[in-house]
Amino acid sequence: MTWLNSHPLTFLVFAPALLGLLLMALPQSVGKLTRLLGFLAALAVFVLSIAWLLGRAPGSAPLAEHAPWFTIVGLPVDYALAVDGLNLWLVLLTTFLVPLTMLGTWNSLKDRTGTFAALFLLLETGMLGALVAQDLLLFYLFWEAMLIPMYFMIGVWGGDERRYAANKFFLFTLSGSLLWLVALLFLAGKAGSFAPAVMAQAASALPFATQCWLFIAFAVAFAIKVPLFPLHTWLPDAHVQAPTAGSVILAGVLLKLGGYGFIRFAIPMFPQAAIHYAKPLALLSVIAIIYGALVSMVQRDIKKLVAYSSVSHMGFVMLGLASMTVIGTQGAMLQMLNHGISTGALFLLVGMVYDRAHTRMIADFGGVATKMPIFTTFFLIVTLSSIGLPLTNGFVGEFWILNGTFLSGFAWGRAYAIVATLGVVLGAVYMLWMVKRVFWGPVNPDEDSGTQHLHSDLNPREIAVMLPLVVLILWMGIHPRTFVAASEAPVTALLKDANAPAIRPLILPAAPAPGALEATAEGHVPASHEVHP
Amino acid sequence: MSITPTEWAALLPLLFPALGACLIPLMALDRDQATTKWIRAAMYLVALAAVAAGFWFITDLWKAGAQPGFHQLHMDRLAQFSGIFVLVAAAMAILQSWDHFHQEGWVKGETLSLLLFSVTGMMLFTATTNFLVLFLGLELFSLPLYSLVATVRHRAEGAEGGMKYFLTGAVASSCFLMGGVLLYGMSGSLDLTTAALSIRAQGLAADPMVLAGAALLLLGFLFKVSAAPFHQWTPDAYEASPHPIAGFMSVATKGVAFIALLRIFPVSFAGMGAVGVRMQAALAILAVLTLVIGNLTALVQTNVKRMLAYSSISHAGYLMLGFVAGTPAAYTGVLFYLVIYLAMNMGAFGLLTVFGLVGEKTTFEDLRGLGWKRPAMGFAAAVFMLSLAGIPPMGGFYGKYMIFKELVGTGHVGLAILGVLASLVSAYYYLRFLVALFLQAPSAEAERLASDRPAVHAPLAGATVLVSAAIVLVGGFVQAFLADGFAHRALSEGLGLLR
Repeated sequence: MTWLNSHPLTFLVFAPALLGLLLMALPQSVGKLTRLLGFLAALAVFVLSIAWLLGRAPGSAPLAEHAPWFTIVGLPVDYALAVDGLNLWLVLLTTFLVPLTMLGTWNSLKDRTGTFAALFLLLETGMLGALVAQDLLLFYLFWEAMLIPMYFMIGVWGGDERRYAANKFFLFTLSGSLLWLVALLFLAGKAGSFAPAVMAQAASALPFATQCWLFIAFAVAFAIKVPLFPLHTWLPDAHVQAPTAGSVILAGVLLKLGGYGFIRFAIPMFPQAAIHYAKPLALLSVIAIIYGALVSMVQRDIKKLVAYSSVSHMGFVMLGLASMTVIGTQGAMLQMLNHGISTGALFLLVGMVYDRAHTRMIADFGGVATKMPIFTTFFLIVTLSSIGLPLTNGFVGEFWILNGTFLSGFAWGRAYAIVATLGVVLGAVYMLWMVKRVFWGPVNPDEDSGTQHLHSDLNPREIAVMLPLVVLILWMGIHPRTFVAASEAPVTALLKDANAPAIRPLILPAAPAPGALEATAEGHVPASHEVHP
Repeated sequence: MSITPTEWAALLPLLFPALGACLIPLMALDRDQATTKWIRAAMYLVALAAVAAGFWFITDLWKAGAQPGFHQLHMDRLAQFSGIFVLVAAAMAILQSWDHFHQEGWVKGETLSLLLFSVTGMMLFTATTNFLVLFLGLELFSLPLYSLVATVRHRAEGAEGGMKYFLTGAVASSCFLMGGVLLYGMSGSLDLTTAALSIRAQGLAADPMVLAGAALLLLGFLFKVSAAPFHQWTPDAYEASPHPIAGFMSVATKGVAFIALLRIFPVSFAGMGAVGVRMQAALAILAVLTLVIGNLTALVQTNVKRMLAYSSISHAGYLMLGFVAGTPAAYTGVLFYLVIYLAMNMGAFGLLTVFGLVGEKTTFEDLRGLGWKRPAMGFAAAVFMLSLAGIPPMGGFYGKYMIFKELVGTGHVGLAILGVLASLVSAYYYLRFLVALFLQAPSAEAERLASDRPAVHAPLAGATVLVSAAIVLVGGFVQAFLADGFAHRALSEGLGLLR
């Protein structure tokens, strides 16, 4: 137990992979047992992560592990893991979504269920490792390794176009990260280390033009993952072709890693370049918001609609980060969690209806509400959260982001905020339109239609999956401070380091008063903001 | 003339395989190999014993830190590294060939004998700086390989591939010889290190004759590593040869040519000043060409063996980039890369034997669905292909990592970007292998044919594949041990670099 006491993060990160490899060795004939074991393992990891990460005495030192790993070609690589305010909730989101998704898609797959569960656990290790890694090469290793299980999950268990989608996903992400690797090697060579702090220091000594190139390399790698317009084209293919569980994790966690990469590495390491490129980033984000919403509106496939809505929602995240304000960045942090919960829930719900009707076309439905009232209730709550109705999580995140953008002090801030607000309206349009066509109205009279095949409402297992998600949606909408308190200090520190003298007085509270953020949560944002000119 | 114990120590690693090579044909003199089973087994055992004896002897030398010499033969750390490299590759090839030749129905003792002669030549080739001995080694390992390519005589393309390899190889050898003659003529010394010193002392470094000599010498090496534009023989020769031989050629020939170049290049070529700079520039251009041609051509192959052949061409490109960087750390990276490359390529070719693909039946179509039927082999295949593409956490990533790091560090950022783009392209065709194994169901006709045929049984090849997969996988976690304890020591203590 002493080893475990000093290495809780190592255990959390690598236990899923080791179990996954063990499960992979089990024969296909006991696939159901393997699936159960995989679920129990993921559940255990979730319980442990809650106990270890949240159940800590207040004021105790942050969880961290640090040891030299190896030195080749003169570059030391450290085994450095840490959980702090920036990644705490993303780690918990990951450990939460993995068992939940396994449960939610229990019967969706017909064959090789054991291997799927094993790959799922390997993927969990990749995601957790990338989230907690504090050394850039270590981060890179997890970042790349994550592609392998996801590739097989899409490619083996996906839809008709799965091979194309899996290859596109793999190669697209790889292209960004390989170019990023060159930038990483360049900077590490200058710094003599892969530690972010040392590398940031080395970067600040470089000419500004070089910093900009390095920032672009970092930003492109992360933006592909987010995905930011125009690098998003892999996402609809991957989402639509992936099995439900793959889509949920892709939307819930993998996309977050892009935004997390920005806030953990790209912005702190190249603050000047980040401010220099804030405008193009924000412009692309606004385009993503509007474009994603418009494309969602014309989709005929519910899953594809949700996939494009991801582009729009993640555009908000990027806009919040580009605003370079505390409120906007905090909004982005919250929006990442929101999107993980809401879109994850939407994909699960779409999966549940697909398992019954074997179609996802909007036109195949109509009048689902009379057939599946419980399902409809859940779907409506999640839809409203996705639209950003007040009292649900979507509202808080989007409001903070728009607020931060509006007040950012950048010349473009107000205009972009106004245009992005249009995206919120469009979001309501495409979601509600889809809900109207699928759920309301008379039952689709066509014998072969999807509605006619809906013979059962949600079973207890599916309700058990949806309940925690709905609770979280409301909790995050009513008391968001639970989820952003941890990141307040690091985000404030980060933006202070981002050397933006012209706009800093306006964007940064000089000394955030205790409870300042709580006030913002209750909707007094403009007031609390103007206190600190 | 008596031979002292240290001189024996330098000679013995070469003598073991040579002895085995001589013994095997004698064993089969009055026996019909086709019918006498125990003779086959005995021949394979002798071949394995010869390889094992050489291996043990060299590892003993390595552990003791001894670097004996015998006249022009220097059994130093680098030569020991190369010896271990070649012997491991040969052992895997021998084990795989037992299964493969039984599948082909063509078990002949001379195959093993030729293979062992080739091993001897390879060890000689990397253990000297004397031009004549170098040439001797080159011919000793090349000639058996020419005939090994054509060893399965009842296959028409065997003879064709062998002939192509032989004719082009003969031209390359004569160029190599001519280059050496020119350098000898200008310097009066057969030892390339001394020749470089003398050429520099005389201020002849920019002399066209010297340049031509060095360029021709380099051409000989580049032919053996199958760098563009001297790569055309590679796909034909690999396709024609039995799978284990193709694997052995792709690994060992390329490996020893790079190791020998490593002995010559930094000391002799760079020692000649201007010549070294120009050779480096030539290598940079050819590396780019190799990467582009190798990767783009591999993309459109439908035959797995030809794909692997073009992939091995592209890997020569990455290794050449290590020479372009030209730092001691980059050379360490080259040696590290070779270690992992040995495991992943022997493994990849071994898979063809394991899956029982014989003759022309080596297209991607023939692989469909096999990953699920043989899960362990499928897992190994995933490890090899992802490692070949340079995806972490496999060992192949670190080879590229070391070379690219040094490229960027020496200011060749453009080449590094080209290198990573090349590996992006390569990811596509390596994924095709996995697509066939896992993502595609076998066609109905293939299923019917498979049910008619007896189950493929290839335990020895399967074992080598698993061992290779373990090396590649573990290599991604003990990279520092392999790089520092093995590759770096071979360079620092063998070559006197990096001291």
